[in-house]
Amino acid sequence: MNATAARPPSLQGKRILIAKPGLDGHDVGAKVIALALRDAGADVIYTGLRKAPGFIARVAVDEDVDAVGLSILSGSHNELVTQTLEELRTLGAEDIPVFVGGTIPADDQSTLRAKGVRGVYTSEIPLDDVIASVAELLS
Amino acid sequence: MSDETSTPLGIDRRALARSLSQVVRASVDATLQDAEVSHSAAPRIGVTGPPGVGKSSLVARLARHRVERVAPLAVIAIDPTSPNSRGSLLGDRIRMDTVADDPRIYIRSLASGQTQDGLSDNLPEVLATIDGFGFAEIIIETVGVGQSEYAIRQLADVELLVLMPGSGDVVQAMKAGIIETADVIVVNKADLPGAEATANDLRSVLGRRRARSSPPIVLVRHDDDKGLHELSGMIDDALAKSVRSGGELERRCRFNRYRVHMLAVRRLSEVLGSLPASRFAEHPAIVYRDLLTRLIESPRGRG
Repeated sequence: MNATAARPPSLQGKRILIAKPGLDGHDVGAKVIALALRDAGADVIYTGLRKAPGFIARVAVDEDVDAVGLSILSGSHNELVTQTLEELRTLGAEDIPVFVGGTIPADDQSTLRAKGVRGVYTSEIPLDDVIASVAELLS
Repeated sequence: MSDETSTPLGIDRRALARSLSQVVRASVDATLQDAEVSHSAAPRIGVTGPPGVGKSSLVARLARHRVERVAPLAVIAIDPTSPNSRGSLLGDRIRMDTVADDPRIYIRSLASGQTQDGLSDNLPEVLATIDGFGFAEIIIETVGVGQSEYAIRQLADVELLVLMPGSGDVVQAMKAGIIETADVIVVNKADLPGAEATANDLRSVLGRRRARSSPPIVLVRHDDDKGLHELSGMIDDALAKSVRSGGELERRCRFNRYRVHMLAVRRLSEVLGSLPASRFAEHPAIVYRDLLTRLIESPRGRG
């Protein structure tokens, strides 16, 4: 409505699930990403802490999301990401892109990408760059 | 699609989820072309109330209780769309994890969109689509409302108004609002102090009304299912009464009236949105007449 208002939202009409698999209890990062995605125009579904990969995959299917973002700080990213991708495949939903945020060592980042993860975002990456990257992933 | 995505009740969840996305994204013209007429709409329970009174948790508990008798069951949870970014944060599921894994329950989060009546833009079409998949009951959770967003009345068979202890001021403020349309009033979080006082406030406000008989008031606690079961029984009574009072035709006409209303409102927004801001420098009467002309000339879509 206001022509002078910031840059145009890039994620309008996109549905994105932000989920926290595993046992770590820190969801500040997940919430920051969720709010930033919303501010870029996306409908963001947030499920809360400590969700099983099977649960996340079922929610992704039921909500027909355009992408799933996993926030993992526990160090178990390799296992949790593998399981989530498997669960999505079981539900015939392997076409839903998955991105991962959290403390992911450089070596593991390429491992995750090789498994099919479409974006890996560590806390050093500026928020605007993360949003731009997700927007590109979904364009 | 594949068997794995089907529930034991034969609902292809992926197909349903995708149909709903299409319906939600559709323009008015596309909606009119694909509009499904639901001949047998499942009973609809509307749950409304101010923010923070525990609507999502209550909906989850109700769904878990009722699905033992009424399955499959769909839940529509609506959260507000940001007027700035047009994005939304749909967090109702955080309070619904106890039922999100039940294959007999389908939960869908919706953003309110342009609508400011507590519901979401294409809700009538969403409900018709869900009906097409054979659900036995639908629970609709509105956005947290103030006092005047009683559109849910138009789309639901039963309307629950959820409050909590300490809602006394709210009750006073609501004297002329949704409190008048509710079929059942829930004092949720009744383990907190002041539950009885809130119920009494409600009784005294409702007692002063002449036109309609007062809706029942029920206290629900998180640590005890007695109130919840009582509430479920009240819903059954209200559903039975709603069918008796108007019959199926009246019900369908009421649903369709709101549906047509929403289509017209959405079309109006589409046309308004297509006008450049500078148009509004002209006299309102001129712009208004032009707007009406454009509404009538609205293209009847592709073939």
